Amino acid sequence: MVFYLSIVLGKLIALIIRIFGIGAGSTWPGHLVLSLDSKFIKKIIKRNPSLKIFIITGTNGKTTTVALLKHLLEKNNISCFSNQEGANLLSGIASALIKNSSIGGKIIKEVGVFEVDEFNFPLALKELSPLAIIILNLFRDQLDRYGEINTVFSRWFEALKSISSSTTVFLNGDDPQLYYLGQKISCRVLYFGLEQKKMPFKKIPHDVDFNYCPICFKLLRYKRIAYSHLGKFFCQNCDFRQTNIFTLKENLENFSLRGIYNQYNITAVFFLLEKVFNFSVNKLKLTLTDFLPAFGRQERINYKKRDFYLWLSKNPAGFNQSIEAVISFVKSKKNVFWLILNNRVPDGHDVSWIWDVDFKKIISRAKKIFVSGDRVYDMALRLKYEQVTLKKMIIVNQDLKKTLLKIIDETKEGEEVFIFPNYSAMLELRKILVGKKFL
Amino acid sequence: MKLYLGWLYPELMSTYGDRGNIIALSYWAKILGIDLLVYSISLNDPPEKILKMDILFMGGAQDKQQEIVSRDLKNEKREALKKAVEEEVPGLFVCGAYQFLGRYYKKADGTKIPGLSIFDFYTENPGSNFPRLIGDIGIKTKISNNEIVVGFENHGGRTYLSNKSLAFGEVIFGFGNNGKDKTEGIFHKNTIATYLHGPILPKNPKITFFLLKKAIERKYKRKIFLKKFDEEWEKKAREMVIRVNLDKAGKLANL
Repeated sequence: MVFYLSIVLGKLIALIIRIFGIGAGSTWPGHLVLSLDSKFIKKIIKRNPSLKIFIITGTNGKTTTVALLKHLLEKNNISCFSNQEGANLLSGIASALIKNSSIGGKIIKEVGVFEVDEFNFPLALKELSPLAIIILNLFRDQLDRYGEINTVFSRWFEALKSISSSTTVFLNGDDPQLYYLGQKISCRVLYFGLEQKKMPFKKIPHDVDFNYCPICFKLLRYKRIAYSHLGKFFCQNCDFRQTNIFTLKENLENFSLRGIYNQYNITAVFFLLEKVFNFSVNKLKLTLTDFLPAFGRQERINYKKRDFYLWLSKNPAGFNQSIEAVISFVKSKKNVFWLILNNRVPDGHDVSWIWDVDFKKIISRAKKIFVSGDRVYDMALRLKYEQVTLKKMIIVNQDLKKTLLKIIDETKEGEEVFIFPNYSAMLELRKILVGKKFL
Repeated sequence: MKLYLGWLYPELMSTYGDRGNIIALSYWAKILGIDLLVYSISLNDPPEKILKMDILFMGGAQDKQQEIVSRDLKNEKREALKKAVEEEVPGLFVCGAYQFLGRYYKKADGTKIPGLSIFDFYTENPGSNFPRLIGDIGIKTKISNNEIVVGFENHGGRTYLSNKSLAFGEVIFGFGNNGKDKTEGIFHKNTIATYLHGPILPKNPKITFFLLKKAIERKYKRKIFLKKFDEEWEKKAREMVIRVNLDKAGKLANL
């Protein structure tokens, strides 16, 4: 009885939120329902035994991977739903389940795809009985909020030890620590990765987190590196190395999935769809072309006849990858860049991570760099310290709207502006550029 | 003038943007006309390498990486580091590296990891029921002429100095060594050990300048002065943090 009442109440709350336009209704219905019945998620899933659940987690690429998975499922006539971006706590998952179920608790859609953040992954694992899990990567991110990544890793390990044998875990096998995780858990584990020839680097970059052997703790060596600590690794001491990695032979370029990090996201999704639904890679390739980016991720917004490109960049590995990808496709020799650094709750309060980002490539391709956000001077200093003569190229203003006006002033119609905001900065700027709030 | 900067275990002890300290030292060295050469001192490097350096830096690490380093930094290598500190080689040791220099670190589960015992202090993690000490921090230090040095701290361990007068700074806002006695870090014989990351040097050029100045004095027996330098953004970056934190505490008026 409480169960049905919960659904009705949840739907009612969602309706009220929509009518009064006070939000997207992506967390509050679930929040309310979970406070009435903490076992709600478990119960509704039990009533829908044929619903296939996929969980996507990792530091970077969750939102894009969920969007891509949904796109490819729908293109292949499989109905699906997901939690909304930013609503990746249990309340967001519950809200999505309520929204997609009948009052009787029946969910008609075939697949539920849930994005879960690093911290909430163990909790979500307990509630949902996923058919498959994709773990994309693990990098340092918001250490003051999530904790150090060894702690995150231990929590994942504990949670994955006890999952059901009917779950398949798709792990990034180019990440030594995740590969090691796969060797230690008992459910079905499959690895995805990149072909060695697609990996651009020989030298270990600065922004690595797991560069030592998880077995004997000697420093790992790499034949090639894709980015950060992802690559073809091996331990000279104990011979720890990866085998049985699923890779895609060709480079699947899509204009909104630039960058080597997206090659990982695409590979993971293709692999999962092949294993679960028997979709062929060739068939999937055809439906990839019209995929549009999730908002703020390589998104292009035309504003006052200028093209603004938003590249969400919120931790060292992600930021370095954004820079690599942008530099690989900018047409002009000298460009306009805009870096926005906030340190609000969703960003983490500590901004020290910007010193682990390599800005040289931006600087060498810039005519002007605008800097804004709550911690504008931290970012300005980061740039200034990169090169002694640089200061005059940097324009500093904390306020986003004022900076935008200045950029319009200093650019011509049709010019491109490349923006690297962190999370709350991206939401704030997007609201200014498209004129409405998303979350 | 040429200086050798030894960066201890860069691939393991580098968690909170520690590289920023190296970047800041290199930047100011260039302005002062000093040729600063950065060397990595890592696993399996010989102890003599430490003794060739004019400045030493070691950053923070997670427990696992710290364990790997502690297995390497022992016997002659430990003695070499101790000698360098005793001989007044300027050094900066942040967070995990700071804890290393003391007598021991007691982990949350109660096990004790012996430290290098270069200084007389110890660090204890009171256990998982106690929160980590996380947030902005501002301290007054002699080196900065009592100007507030600003950073960020994030540590589970509480550090207790046997002699409080050796503290690097006095806490104005934030936690410091243990959240109780208002001391922050330790400063002795040109070695600064501190919980401030952020990293500490880019925003606080007086500390950067101190390390370079002492290294030149020690090696070339001559004094250097920084007459005019542009500190506008550094100052504004500090002020932003100071304002937010002292506003919160209602202390701004008293300063």
